[in-house]
Amino acid sequence: MAVRILLADDHPLTRSGIAEFVRREETFELVAEAEDGTEAWDKIKELHPDVALLDIRMPGYDGVTVAQKVKNEGMNTAIVMLTSYDAQQYVIASLRAGARGFVLKTVSPKELTTAINTVAKGGLYLDPEVASVMGEQDFIPEQLSVREREVLLLAAKGLSSKEVAKKLFISERTVQTHLASIYDKLGSRNKTEALLLALKYGVVTLEELLEDD
Amino acid sequence: MLSRLRKKFAGSGSHFLAFLLCALILPSAAVVLVAVAGMLSQERAMEAAVSSYVQDLAESMSYHLSSDSDVWTFSMLSDFTRFPFFSWGPSIPGWVALVGQDGRVIIASPGSMDIITSIWRDDLPVGKALRLEDREGAQYTLAVYPVKRPSGGYVVAAVSWRQLLGGLVGVVRVWPILIVAIAFLSFYAIRLLWRRVVTPLRSLAAEIDSMTIGKDVPEKLPEGTIQEIESVHSALLRFSQAAVERDNLRNRYVRDVVQAQEQERMDMAREIHDGALQDVTALLQQIHMIEDDENKASRLKRSEIIAKAVVKELRAFCDELAPPWMDLGLNEAITELAERLSQAYDIVIMTDYDEGTDSAEIENDKILSLLRIIQEAVSNAVRHGEASTVNIQLSRKDDTMTLEISDNGKGFDSGNINHETLRVEGHRGLASMTERMSLMGGTLRIASRLGEGTEITASFKV
Repeated sequence: MAVRILLADDHPLTRSGIAEFVRREETFELVAEAEDGTEAWDKIKELHPDVALLDIRMPGYDGVTVAQKVKNEGMNTAIVMLTSYDAQQYVIASLRAGARGFVLKTVSPKELTTAINTVAKGGLYLDPEVASVMGEQDFIPEQLSVREREVLLLAAKGLSSKEVAKKLFISERTVQTHLASIYDKLGSRNKTEALLLALKYGVVTLEELLEDD
Repeated sequence: MLSRLRKKFAGSGSHFLAFLLCALILPSAAVVLVAVAGMLSQERAMEAAVSSYVQDLAESMSYHLSSDSDVWTFSMLSDFTRFPFFSWGPSIPGWVALVGQDGRVIIASPGSMDIITSIWRDDLPVGKALRLEDREGAQYTLAVYPVKRPSGGYVVAAVSWRQLLGGLVGVVRVWPILIVAIAFLSFYAIRLLWRRVVTPLRSLAAEIDSMTIGKDVPEKLPEGTIQEIESVHSALLRFSQAAVERDNLRNRYVRDVVQAQEQERMDMAREIHDGALQDVTALLQQIHMIEDDENKASRLKRSEIIAKAVVKELRAFCDELAPPWMDLGLNEAITELAERLSQAYDIVIMTDYDEGTDSAEIENDKILSLLRIIQEAVSNAVRHGEASTVNIQLSRKDDTMTLEISDNGKGFDSGNINHETLRVEGHRGLASMTERMSLMGGTLRIASRLGEGTEITASFKV
């Protein structure tokens, strides 16, 4: 059965390019196109697509807001953010809003196919450009310790080092030490990248990140 | 009437001063005139009194001598008892003498000979009083009356003004000198008032006038200006110099802002021209060549690589102009920027956000300003301070947010700094940080000491 897809982008040229590609792919079915966030949300509610490809910056609701609405309604539509912006904070914001994929518009058709198929099956897809280890193609990360995973998750939820330390009853300095070790093991340069890589390699899951505690 | 007049004069500054000076001159002149008139009339009154006294004296003498027929013998000369008035001495003021037809003095009261001789003139009129002066300048009045007897003769009576009127004569003498002195003094005072107060005030007023049309203040006031006006003048001088300096500073400041703006535009144009524009041109060439190329696939692959490079370049360019990710909120935007800067400069940047900072609703332009401040601070820390670690801390107390950026660099002497002088002295970065904060209605404090790193604290209301 074909994957039912909704495409929302306010830029007509980009939208028609991606639409053409989706239509060409036999396993995909383009059920609707939307030119702004409001239209996208209305059509998702109406058509319940399997996958929604959402631009981040759109008139009406932005992509992250639409994703949040889908998540809040508990709908099964998997969201893939399709954007020109490579900011890692967009990735984090999208994932927090419930998106399962983040793809830059410069993506190749092959990669986009992989992304759509991955999220349709319940997986997570992050564009290599926003979550990659510099210079190393086949990187296998070291296993994180239990404490390190805790620190990473809390930090990923937006807690400051001070707050993480308080929550785990350890010193702030220890938190810093753990973070440095995490960066080292994942080959990342900062907290956000560490989290993205951890998600990418399955060190932590999206569900864990979204958990409220 | 009077109040209307006063209003009329008070209405205009220069008229009022003229009025004031007139008000001082007129009474002085009036006093002088009245005093002179008084002096003259007193002189006349005194002369009349003395004349009538002398005339009375001479006339009564002449009458006595005329009526007593027995007296007029030569034997009487030694018999003073019968003519008591010739032996008055000092008890009655004046001197009398009986002079014969031939001019010989027949009889005279004591001392009269000396006095009468000293003031005698041959052309003395008969029956009239005459004012005379002796060689020392003392005043006398003298009267000659005929004796009505067959043998003829004259009675000569004289009186000294000083003897008759005493101190009054001295007063009358000193009076004109006093009046002239007082008049001179008051005119001199008015002249001083004019030269030292009115003229300097006028020139001060002219200076203030010229200041409003943008001229500088001349350094000097007229010589001898009073202290109070000098103080006003020097205060004005300082004020105008400060204004001129400030004006110059502002001009240089505006020029610098404009220059910076133009420089930025030139940089942007060059960046687009040398980057994206060249890449797109190359892309176009690849597309043109596809048709005739046997290996179309590789040509396409090359096109794709170029196109991706253009996108990346333009994306970076947009991020630099106005990062789109500031939409995500202040904390996320700071994190994104910090991570990018950390990679770009290869330094450690720690970010820490206190509770409550992420709930603040902050407009995008303010977020952009804060991002620019961080960008500038980190750039300075690395380029000038050679810092290896930067801490960014965002905290909130009630509705005041505080952004602290501290580094472990070399630091500098922050001392007293002001953003306009900073900009003019070429520290555009520090200047624009301060300007941005003041535009946000906040404050920016730069604290740094040599060898102790730098701490920049930006506070603003949300």
